[in-house]
Formats: sequence, C-alpha cells, structure tokens
Amino acid sequence: MSTNKASNLKQDRRQWLKTSAAVLGASLLPGQAMSSEVAEPNTAPSVPKAKLGETQSATRFFTRAEYALIEELSETMIPADSHSGGAKAAKVADYIEQVLHASVDDNQRSNWRQGLHLVDLMSQHHNGKLFVDSSFEERIAVLTVLSDNGHMTELPEIRFFRDLKNLTIQGYYTSKIGIHDELEYKGNRILVEFVGCDDPVPGSK
Amino acid sequence: MADSGIDLNKTYDAIVVGSGAAGGMAAHVLTTHGLKVLMLEAGKKLPIEQELRSMEWPYDNPHRGKLPPDHHALTFNEYTIRKPPYGPGFEKSKHLHSYAGSNDYVKNIVVDERENPYTGTNYAWVRARCLGGKTNIWGRLSLRLSDYEFKAARRDGYGEDWPISYSDIAPYYDKVDLYLGISGVKENLPYLPDSIFQRPTKLSCSEVMLKQAVKKMGRVVTQYRAGVTTDGLKHNKYRSQCYGRGACDRHGGCDIHAAFDSPTGLIYPAMDTGNLTLRTNAVVREVTVDQNTGKASGVHFIDAQTLKDYHVRARVVVIAASTLESARLLLLSKSRLYPNGLANSSGHVGHNFSEHVLGCHIVGLVKDLVGKPSTLDDGRPGGFYLPRFQNLSEKHPKFIRGYGFEGGGGQGMYPGYATDLKGFGSSFKEEVRNNRGAYIDMGAFGEMLSRYENYVDLDPVIKDKWGIPVLRFHVEFGDNDRHMVEDMQASGQEMFEAAGFKIVDLRTKTLTPGWSIHEIGTVRMGHDPKTSVLNQFEQSHDVKNLFVVDGSAFVNAGCQNPTWTIMALCWRSCDYLADELGKGNL
Repeated sequence: MSTNKASNLKQDRRQWLKTSAAVLGASLLPGQAMSSEVAEPNTAPSVPKAKLGETQSATRFFTRAEYALIEELSETMIPADSHSGGAKAAKVADYIEQVLHASVDDNQRSNWRQGLHLVDLMSQHHNGKLFVDSSFEERIAVLTVLSDNGHMTELPEIRFFRDLKNLTIQGYYTSKIGIHDELEYKGNRILVEFVGCDDPVPGSK
Repeated sequence: MADSGIDLNKTYDAIVVGSGAAGGMAAHVLTTHGLKVLMLEAGKKLPIEQELRSMEWPYDNPHRGKLPPDHHALTFNEYTIRKPPYGPGFEKSKHLHSYAGSNDYVKNIVVDERENPYTGTNYAWVRARCLGGKTNIWGRLSLRLSDYEFKAARRDGYGEDWPISYSDIAPYYDKVDLYLGISGVKENLPYLPDSIFQRPTKLSCSEVMLKQAVKKMGRVVTQYRAGVTTDGLKHNKYRSQCYGRGACDRHGGCDIHAAFDSPTGLIYPAMDTGNLTLRTNAVVREVTVDQNTGKASGVHFIDAQTLKDYHVRARVVVIAASTLESARLLLLSKSRLYPNGLANSSGHVGHNFSEHVLGCHIVGLVKDLVGKPSTLDDGRPGGFYLPRFQNLSEKHPKFIRGYGFEGGGGQGMYPGYATDLKGFGSSFKEEVRNNRGAYIDMGAFGEMLSRYENYVDLDPVIKDKWGIPVLRFHVEFGDNDRHMVEDMQASGQEMFEAAGFKIVDLRTKTLTPGWSIHEIGTVRMGHDPKTSVLNQFEQSHDVKNLFVVDGSAFVNAGCQNPTWTIMALCWRSCDYLADELGKGNL
C-alpha cells in the first residue's frame, strides 16, 4: 500500500495520476482490480466477503458496509458546517438507497456497486485503509482525485463520482435541512402581495 | 362534476371534439348561445387537485417529486438519437412519457407514448389526453398577436396573410382577458398589443438589471403576461385568485385554478348552463358525412376503456382536438365524397405546419447578487418576457420574422445549478448557498416559417392502441429558422453581457421539433379555398357545418405563445357559428 500522505496526494494529483496510468493501466486503480475484482465486487479479496455481502435483504439494495460508505461519501460531498447540517443529518444515504433499490437501470445499479468498491480500493491504495476508517483529509484526498477528472468520463470511478454527486445534491437539497436550513428558502407559501425588487444593487440608485 | 349521460338517439346542436383551450371555449360560447352541446374527450377526468398537489414539499413526496422508477420521460438525447415511434427500447419502464411528463405531478396528465405512437421525422410531441388537455399543465404566458403576424406576408412577401386583421380579433381578446383573467403590465407596443390586465407580478433583482440594460438598446423586458387571475373572477366559483405560491412552475399546474385551465375556466361554467353534455373516454376516429348533402352528420368514437364503437349525431361538428390531432381526424374521415379526407379538397390538410424554434437558452450569473441573503423570487406565476426586436422597422439581412425570450431570475426552491458547479465539500456547499439568488436564465421562442413541405400524413401501417392509424411526421427546420437561431444566440449573449451577467451556460443545440408545444397550422385559414382549409371563421370551405377551432387554423406562428389567440379566434368563430345556425345557413 502506498504511504502517500493525503496532503501530498492532493498537491501532487497530476503526478499521481500519471504514475497511476502507467503502473496501473488505463484507470485510476490497480490493474488487477479493473480486470477481475471489479466484475464481481462482492468477492473482492481486498475487502472481506463477509463484510460486503452482509445482510442484504429484499427491501434494501446496499449492504450495511456499502450503506455506511455512502453515508461517509455523501457527508464528504456536502458536510455539516456552522451554517447547517450535512448530508448525513439530511439522510441522503437513505435517499440514495431508495433510488438504487427501485432503479430499473441495471447500468446505474452495477455502476454503484462497482464504484463503491473502487473507492475503497483507492482508499486502500493511498491511505492504507477503508474510506470509512480514513481521516477527514484522507477522504477529501480520494474524492479530489475523482472530482478533478471529469474529462476521463469513461472510467467507471469517474462515472460513479458523477452519479454520487448528482444523487447527493438531489437528496440533500430536497430535504428539510437542505431547503430550509441551508438555502433558507422562503417560498411555497401563501402571499398577500407579490414580492419584487425595487433596487437591484442597494446604493446604486 | 360527473359525466352527464350521453343520448345516442339525439341529434345534438353541436359536437365538440376535445376539451382543451379550444374545446372548452367552444363549449362555453355555444352553450351561452343556448345550443345543446356534446363534448367528447378522448381521455378521462382526472382528480386534478390530487395529481398536482401544488404545495407538497419534495421531502413529503415518496420520490422527492421526481418520476417513480417505473416511469420514464424521454430526454433531448433520446429524441435526437432515436426515431419515432419512441416506444421500443424502453421496455424496462412501465410508462413512457414525452419530455413534459417528467415529474410525479404531471405523469398521469400526459399520454403514454406506447399507446399513442407516431412515425416519421424526429418530433417531441406532447399530448395530454384528459379533461382540459394541456391547459392543466400549460406555461401560462398569454400574448396577443398583432398585424405584424396577421399581415406578415404583406410586410415581407413570404407566405400568406391571415384572413383577419387585428381589429377583427381585438374585441375577442378583450372578452378572453375579462372572462379568464390575465396578469401583466401595459407597454404600448404595436407588435405586442396589451391585454386588459389584472394586478401584475413583480420583477426580481436580476430581471430589473436586464430590463435596465436592454432599455438602452431600445428593447423591452416586461412582467410575464400570465393567463392567471391575480385579482380573482367574481363570475367564476371554480377558480381562486393567485396567492403567489409559485407552484405552477415547480409542479406544472395550479390546484387552486388561479392559472387558467379549461375545466374550471370554461367547461364547468358551461355545464352549469344545463346545455353541455360531457362524455370522457371517447376517442373520436371519424367525422361522418351525409352522402346526400355532403354535410357532416356526426362522429364515430371508441370508448377508450371498453373499446366499444359508437356513433352520435349533430347538426354541426366542431373539431378542437389539438393542432395535429385535428388534422389527423380530418385525414381519417375519408368517404366516397371526400376520398382525400374531410375538408381537404385543397390538399392542404396536414400541411403548412409551424411552431416555435427553440434555438437558444442562456444562463447568467449576477456577481452583485452572489452571497446575498435569501430572497423570495418564485412566489409568482412567471418571470419576464422580452418581446421581439428584429424585423420590426429594419430588415435583418439573413432572416425574416422574429423571436422573443421568456425567462426568470432569482432564487428557486431547488438549486439545479449545483450539479454544474465544480468540486465538493464545504467550499462547494458554500458556493451553492452563495449563488442561490444569483442566476438568471432565458430561452428564445422564434417563428418557424410555415412551409407546405412541413406536413403530417397518416402512417400506412402503424396504429394506436385503439386500432386507429397514427400520424407520420415530415417536419424539419429550414434555412430561415437556422439563421434566426444564430441571431438568437448572438443577441442573447449580447444582452446578458450588456447587463453585466457572467454567462455560465449557453445551449446552442436547437431542441427537437415539437418541443415548444406551440404547434400550429395543418388546417389553415385563408380566403382562397385552393390554398386553405378554413375561412376566416374557422369554417371548412368544403363542408359548411364543420369547424376546426384550435391552433391548426393558424396561418403562421408569430413568435407569441398561441393559447390566448386560439381562444379569441374560437370565441369569434363560435359566435358566427351560432348566428349562422340560427339563420338556418348550416
């Protein structure tokens, strides 16, 4: 496993990508992972099978471990701050679980299974531990690699990141916390008079 | 309001096919004249308030307001890379809708594409088979046409003039304004006549900035002219005044009916006269003809649920099935006397199609509004309208006719822009928050030139769920449309830059034909029976007791949204119809 520190990884992302591509093949990840493990993520040797395959019921799409990972990923995406709660408090993972469970899009479903697995492989590769066991900085470092490579759209981990971001945004900004606490939305109520703008840039008149 | 019983042994004064803006208006006017009217609607009467649930919060909806997973709404990409019929390839989705059926509140209002296929060129056809049709989910922008449109051919030499002038229809625009309610601000523009407005909405900060900037260019930004009663209507007990909940855009419709819809605005009051009989689930497949007199005698319809076939008679048949469905019905109504379809001696039925070309959508970020406190900007039925400015006094060298922009600026409930912001984490979250009221966007609606070559006919093979031949499209944008689109994009950028907005997105792809849902023509009016289907009263040149009163009667599209003109024309035609019927001329 790499001993790169998170901060180094972030700073030296391009260099890391370059070596990744050379050493690991056309992926941000180890070549072995791409060719064999990814096809059947639940049997990936780097993560114990028992953990990922645990308690998958008919009413849920994700395993407990996957769900926990989504919670941490979504919170890293939209964290709690001094202004309002984050994705965890807004139960974004529940929303994502619901969407994926009901999805009729097999590509999306497999992309998520695969993507979650790839995130943990990346985390292992860089930080020497699972994403959920990583520090705040280590988590940011992993997502930064995924986030800044929107042009590599064919890679499954990039596709996963995009969908993760989209569903996190959807789940968060349609929640009570997202609408009322974070964006302080004032509409959807009965008004006596229409509200408008008399002076667009205060002091400009 | 339940369906009142249809009497198949009776000869009604008039049958009205369709219950949207045109059908509703025909029912209103004809029943007011004391005629006994039978209205046939192909779809059912939906519990519309239960569908729209205008004030439901996303978090109180099982799908956060989005479509349930077994529904799919076609996307621009799918309309582009596939060909009609669009059903095949979406087998995993139980229900397939047009792009407009894209949320949980409108999914039952638009049709299922598989039950209602069509073929031919790429086309985004939005249909709503239910009582009220598309008026349940329309965009509400209600504009008058002017002699710049009615006499467009005289001005620039292209196409045909309408058989009416603005002065013919102006009194009927007034009647529509007063009967249904419209909100807006007078601007005194000869190319966009004012209505009799109720209380206007207000512009948001970014909209005021745009207004001030384009004023220096001699252009106008005015409040969205919304077909919404902002002061209420004393004569209508089915509709409330607008309470600025802003739900019409979020969910697609208005469950207190401040926004006009045909059922509460027109049909229920018509039923209260005791002169209207409504039959839903009645899919009309043919207008029948008395082979001795050559006149329309009634219609055949199929019960949408039992598939049983019925015939019902009337002294006059009024078709208001929506532009393309009306043309389809005439083409379906072939007989020994009318082998090319009813009212089609000219061969023009299905031809001279037009709509609005949507070739530009632009999004700007207003730097001065970044990081400001939350503002209430969407508590109103619409944002702004920027009327046409090309080819008014000067001639553009590359295209004729014009385009206008509709748009809005300010904070909404959902930050749709967030997916386009880079990054993640606390800085991302902060940027989404800071930008919540700082975006403004607008999209252009331009006149697609009416051309004989753009037409629909019947597919020789494919049939719909009820065994009725479907429409085949032969519709494409032309050179004038493309040159206009280039100008839309240039002028959109020019105006946003003049206002100091940072342009963060510019869609340069023209949306699929049909996307405007402003399709018109295919049964056009005109003085000459050789090149038109209807006279100035939307009466068939060939068949005196047949009227077609929806958007299909238009000669050109202008660049204005058509609903208000459909209703004003229909009112005028139905006054004439009642008068002629009374005189024994039909």
